[in-house]
Amino acid sequence: MSGSAILAVSNVCKRFGGLRALDDVSLQVERGEIVGLIGPNGAGKTTLFSALVGLHRIDGGTIRFDGSNVSGLKPHRVAALGLTKTFQNVALFSEMSVLDNVLVGGLLRHGLASARSAAQSCLDCVGLGAIAGKRAADLSFPERARVEVARALATQPKLLLLDEVMAALNAAEKRDMIGLIRALRDDGLTLIVIEHHMNTIMSLCDRIAALSFGRLIAEGRPAEIARHPAVVEAYLGREHAF
Amino acid sequence: MNGRSWRVVVAAGILVVALCLPLGLDPQGYAIRIFTLIFLFAAMAQSWNIVGGLANQMSLGHAAFFGIGAYTSTLLLIRMGISPWLGMAAGALLGGMVAALLSLPTMRLSGHYFALATLAFGEVMRVLANTWASVTGGPGGISVPFGQDSWWMLSFKSTRPHYYLTLGALISVTAVFVAIQRSAFGYRLRAVRENIAAAEVVGVDSARTKILAATISGALIAALGTLYAQLTFFFDPDTVFGIAPISIRVALIAILGGVGVAIGPIIGALVIIPLEEAANFAFSAQAAGLSALVYGLLLVTIIFVEPRGLVALAGLRKRWRSS
Repeated sequence: MSGSAILAVSNVCKRFGGLRALDDVSLQVERGEIVGLIGPNGAGKTTLFSALVGLHRIDGGTIRFDGSNVSGLKPHRVAALGLTKTFQNVALFSEMSVLDNVLVGGLLRHGLASARSAAQSCLDCVGLGAIAGKRAADLSFPERARVEVARALATQPKLLLLDEVMAALNAAEKRDMIGLIRALRDDGLTLIVIEHHMNTIMSLCDRIAALSFGRLIAEGRPAEIARHPAVVEAYLGREHAF
Repeated sequence: MNGRSWRVVVAAGILVVALCLPLGLDPQGYAIRIFTLIFLFAAMAQSWNIVGGLANQMSLGHAAFFGIGAYTSTLLLIRMGISPWLGMAAGALLGGMVAALLSLPTMRLSGHYFALATLAFGEVMRVLANTWASVTGGPGGISVPFGQDSWWMLSFKSTRPHYYLTLGALISVTAVFVAIQRSAFGYRLRAVRENIAAAEVVGVDSARTKILAATISGALIAALGTLYAQLTFFFDPDTVFGIAPISIRVALIAILGGVGVAIGPIIGALVIIPLEEAANFAFSAQAAGLSALVYGLLLVTIIFVEPRGLVALAGLRKRWRSS
């Protein structure tokens, strides 16, 4: 593990019954990187995120984050260390207001009053400051995805895992989100992003890791990954490969 | 005046009426006793509301803690002459501890499974109290010693002091409920209720949150068990540990009034307790069980019309929630 790595995933396995959802996955992320995680549906991307934040107990391997072994830790302990994620299917507290959703994240490092102002500034950050009082259940899907990001930011993470936060965004919103992600990185945050849209992920990320059937099949710079035979095969099938 | 100051005025007005009301009632009569029961059961349902409403775990076993409270203070009073106030503190401590222990295995359960597990625990406590006759007096019940009128010994011939005691209890428990609701702990509870995985991932210790809610709720309803014992002078395991008389009734009052809002249990008790009495009064002469049938049908009707409770029906819910 090199000196600047914030995350070191070593030989991580996760089985659901007979299915190997994660099969001997190893991956390092350096401080200040934006790493893309790609792979066909069911490749294990979201499972890896869930394992990293402690929602899934891994069956083998180790996860080291920022100098400590986090394998087996409860999610709230992992969050306290500075590692959190957003949810692909959007998991807001739907009966609570937008502000209160984000406030809950703020409570990790603040008392109630300062959590509230921290939440407001996180909402401003994702461009939702104006709808802080709305009920989360009444939001559109793109708005909800941004609340997810704001709530995660309110925990003041060092490493943030974004699970398809741009899936439902229109072109302008997507541009804003990419701008936000870059700005966060410039402020010192490290990010791993799952996205299906290839152009987006290729232009956004410093490095890309590709999963297929639970295995890490390729890792490298965007240009390398786009041409990588294993990636092309995983996405298009064997007959299209070189 | 804005909504908030209106509410303060209305609450103060209701409080003044509640404080003056007994002056116009026969201190040992029927009406004052009904009001006392309304306050007591509203307070019990408010305790339940911390777990059932804020944490959204439908406990059907709160009689367990209520009975522990009633027996703890009464036994301390009988065996050692200890003031029920101290007995209440001991009962609350014990009730809170038992609730915390029970929440260890049950907190991972949700919905029906949680309801059934807590229901079973309440039944275990009832059977235990019935069987362990050397301590509890068994199925024959237990009489609370009756002495001179005394605030220290919580002993009164008249119902009027009990009216004020239960009113004070209702105000206190409601204050605790509102304080929790507005605290950081209240936000965590709601987050866990809405989406436990999301809450945990942004740093909420869900286990700790649930245990704390269960402990406060159990301790509060145990303390109310002491008030009940001192009010009724006599009780048995089937009453204080009972499913129908306590566990379900308390849950029903909160559900009918409106779960998770402070005003819910108060409205629920204001409807249910008089309804039970009226059904008894009107139909008990005609046929055995008819009053229970009418009472049950009325409840089913109300729940059908507005499952979120009477508060929602009155449109009050939004205003009380948005505080």
